[in-house]
Amino acid sequence: MLMHLSLRLRVLLIFAGLGVAVILATALGLWLGYSRLDAPGAGQGFIQAGVVAGFATLGLVAGVWYLFDLNVAKPIETLSGALRARAHADVNADMDAAIARYLGDLAPAAQAAAQSLSETRSALAEAVARETLRLGSEKARLEALLSDVPVGVILCSADHALAFYNSPAADVIGAGRGKGLEAGLDRKLFDYLHAAPLRHAYDRLIATADPDAASDLLCTTRDGARVLAARMRLLGDAGSPGYVLTLRDITGDMATEARREAMLAEALDSLRRPTAALATLVEVLPEDALPAPLEAALKEEVARLSQAVTRFGAARDEGQGEASALPQTRASDLAAGLTARLDTLGITVAARTADLLLRCNGFEIITLLAAAAQHVDARGSARDLQLAIDEEDSGAAIRLSWQGPRVTVAELDHWLAEPLSPEMPDRPASAVLAAHATEVWPEASAGRAALCLPIRRARRAVARPAPVARNVVYDFELLSPARTDKLADSRLDRMTYVVFDTETTGLNPRQGDEIVQLAALRIVNGRRVDGEVFDTLVNPGRPIPAVSTSVHGITDAMVADAPPVADVVRRFHKFAEGAVLIAHNAPFDMEFLRRVEAQLGLTFDMPVLDTVLLSAVVYGQHEVHSLDALSHRLGINIPEEARHTAIGDTLATADAFLKLVPMLAGRGLDTFGAVLVEVRKHGRLLKDLN
Amino acid sequence: MDRKPRILVVEDEDNIAVALDYLMTREGYDHDRVSSGADAMPRIRATHPDLVLLDVMLPEVSGYEICEGIRMDPTLADVKILMMTARGSAIERRKGLALGADGFVSKPFELKALREEVRRLLSIGV
Repeated sequence: MLMHLSLRLRVLLIFAGLGVAVILATALGLWLGYSRLDAPGAGQGFIQAGVVAGFATLGLVAGVWYLFDLNVAKPIETLSGALRARAHADVNADMDAAIARYLGDLAPAAQAAAQSLSETRSALAEAVARETLRLGSEKARLEALLSDVPVGVILCSADHALAFYNSPAADVIGAGRGKGLEAGLDRKLFDYLHAAPLRHAYDRLIATADPDAASDLLCTTRDGARVLAARMRLLGDAGSPGYVLTLRDITGDMATEARREAMLAEALDSLRRPTAALATLVEVLPEDALPAPLEAALKEEVARLSQAVTRFGAARDEGQGEASALPQTRASDLAAGLTARLDTLGITVAARTADLLLRCNGFEIITLLAAAAQHVDARGSARDLQLAIDEEDSGAAIRLSWQGPRVTVAELDHWLAEPLSPEMPDRPASAVLAAHATEVWPEASAGRAALCLPIRRARRAVARPAPVARNVVYDFELLSPARTDKLADSRLDRMTYVVFDTETTGLNPRQGDEIVQLAALRIVNGRRVDGEVFDTLVNPGRPIPAVSTSVHGITDAMVADAPPVADVVRRFHKFAEGAVLIAHNAPFDMEFLRRVEAQLGLTFDMPVLDTVLLSAVVYGQHEVHSLDALSHRLGINIPEEARHTAIGDTLATADAFLKLVPMLAGRGLDTFGAVLVEVRKHGRLLKDLN
Repeated sequence: MDRKPRILVVEDEDNIAVALDYLMTREGYDHDRVSSGADAMPRIRATHPDLVLLDVMLPEVSGYEICEGIRMDPTLADVKILMMTARGSAIERRKGLALGADGFVSKPFELKALREEVRRLLSIGV
C-alpha cells in the first residue's frame, strides 16, 4: 500500500496523519470536557479529557516510533551493515532489498552500489591477474634474453648488493658452480671483485651528476685469477642510485697480449745487443783484416740487420700503449678522482687539466699518483701540491708538482717497488708503468719540483655526445599470436599507430602553404615508444610569413639547411607504413601530405583516426575539441615551450589518444570498426578520412 | 782543448765495450770503461771525464740515477752525458733528457751517428 509513492511523500503523509490524529485526540478530549460543562464536577471532566487526549497522543507517538524503528532505523542499520560487509569484508552475495522496502530507492541503490563495487573488484582482480601474467611473461622473456647475452650483466644497489645477474656474469665474477662462492642476490659485489676500482668508478659517476655518463674500468676477481673490463652506468634513481655493470673477461686477451709483448721484448733485446756489438765491431775492424769484397759484404749485411732491428724497435715503440684493454679516461675524471682520494688523506691538491681523453687505467693511475703524493707529503717539506694534465705529442703528460725539494730517481725507484695498494700486495707500482708502457721521472724548475708521468695515447675530448636514447625498444606483445590482421576487428589497444603533427607556413595548402616541421611518434600495443620518434624541420621552399613564425617560432634561417618537403614526406611515409595515422584535426595535416603524393609516387592510404572526432564521440559535439581543451579535460600538461611545436603537439595528441581509448572501450567501442561507425556519426564536425 | 778529450764508457756488455774501446782509440780519445753502475760515480768524480757514454740498463744502479747524480753535483756541471739504450723508446729518451742527458742514442747505433754525436758534445768539428 502506498508503495508507489516516493519516500519523501510517504514520510510527509505519516507526519500529516500524526498531526491530524493529535488534533483529533485533542478535539475529542475537549469535546468530552465541553459535553460535561453543565454537570457537577465539570472540572473533573476536563481532567479526564486531558488524560484521554494525553494517552491518545502518547499512543500515537509510540506507534510512530515503532513504525520508524521497524521500517527506518532498523533497515538503515541492517543496510549499513550489509554495505560495510561488501566494502570491507569482500562479501559478494546479493543484498536483500526487502529489508528496506519502506526506504524507497535506498535499498536498490545500495544494492546497485554493492554490485558495482563487486564488479569493479572482479575487473580489477582480473586486470591485476592479466597484467601480472603479462609482466611475468615479459620478465621471463627478458630473463631469456639477458641469459643469452654473452657479456655479464649485473645490477647492483647503491650499497653494492647484487639485485640481478645473468649466468655469464656469475661465470666471469668467479661465482659459477663448483668455484667455491655461489652467486647470490643481496650478496655484496665485493665478495667477488676487488672493491677499490668499482668504488672509485661509482664515486666518479656520482660526482659527474650526468645521468648518461658511463665509466669504463678494469677490475679483478678477489682471487686475482681474472681481469675484467667493465662499464658502469648509474640507474636513474635520484639520491643513492644503483648501477648496471657489464663485464667482459679479458684475462685471456691480456695474457695473450702480455705473452706477445714479452716475446717481442725478448726478441728485440736478444737482437739489439749483439747487433749493436756487431755493428760497432765491424766498423772498427782493422784495415786489411778481411779481403775487401768480404768486408764490404759483411758491412752491408750488418747495416741491413741494424736497420731492420731499428725499424722493428721503432714500430714496437709506436704500438705500445695502444693496448685495447686500456679504457679511455677523461682527464678531469682523473683529476677529480685524485683530488677526492687525497682529500680523504688530508692532502690538498689543486688540479688543472686539458680536456683530454687518456687511454689508461684510471684507477691504477690515480692510485699511483696518490701514493706518490703521500710520499711527497710524508717528507714534510712539500707545499702547494698541484696536478696538471696537458696534451703532449700524441699523448699527454701528467705532472704532480710542489714547492719544495725534488725527489731523486733512487727514491722514486724505491717507491715504485712497493705494492700499489694493500689490496694488491703482488702488484708493485712499477707494474702499472709497465702496463702503460711508460716511465715516471722527477723534474725541477723555477723553485718547483715535479714528477712527470707521460701517457702514450690521448686525444682531445669533444663535448660528451648527445646521449643516445638508451631506452631498450621492445614490446613482447608483438610476439603474441592473438594479433589480428583484420582491421575492423582489431582491438584499439593492440594496434600500431603513428601520431603526427605538422607546423606550416600558413593554413592554405591549396594556395601554396607548405610544411616547415613534421614530427611523429609510434604507439604500439597501447604504449608510446619513446625511442621511435620522427622529428625534423622542413625547408618549405618559400618564405615563412612573420605571422606564422610568431605561432611556431620557426624562421627562414632555421629551415635553410633542412631537407625539402618531398624528402621529408617520403621518409615519413616509410616511418608510418603499416600503422594507423592519428592527428588532431587530421584533414588539415593530411592535405599537406597528400598534395605531394603524385610527385612522390606514394599514397597515404593508411587508416586515419582523428582525436577531434574521438573527443566528439566521448564528450559529445557540444564540447570544445581543440587540442588545448581536450588536453585540459584529460589532465595532460603541454609545457608552454612545447606548445605549437610539432613534437610537443604530437606528444599531447598521443597522450590524449591513449586516454581516450579506455573511455571508448567503456562505451563498448573497443575495436577499430566500432569506433569508425561512431566517428562517422560526427561527419558534421569533421570529415572522416577513411 | 789542448789535451785529448777524456771519455768514460759505462757499459756492462763486454762486446759492445770492446767495440767502443776500439772506436774511441781510433778517434784519438783518452778513454776508460766501468761495467757496473755502482762503480760509475766514484770513477766520474775521480777522473772528471769530458763525456760519459752511459748505458741505461746497468746492474745495481741505473743509468738514469747516474745521470741525475752527475747533474746534481755542481763540480761535474761541465761533464757531457750521452745515454745509450737497448730499448730505444721515445719515453726513455724523454726521461733521459729530462734527467739532464745531453744526447741519446739507441742500440744498435750507426757508428757514424755515434761518432758525430760524440764530436758534437765535445764541441769538435764534425
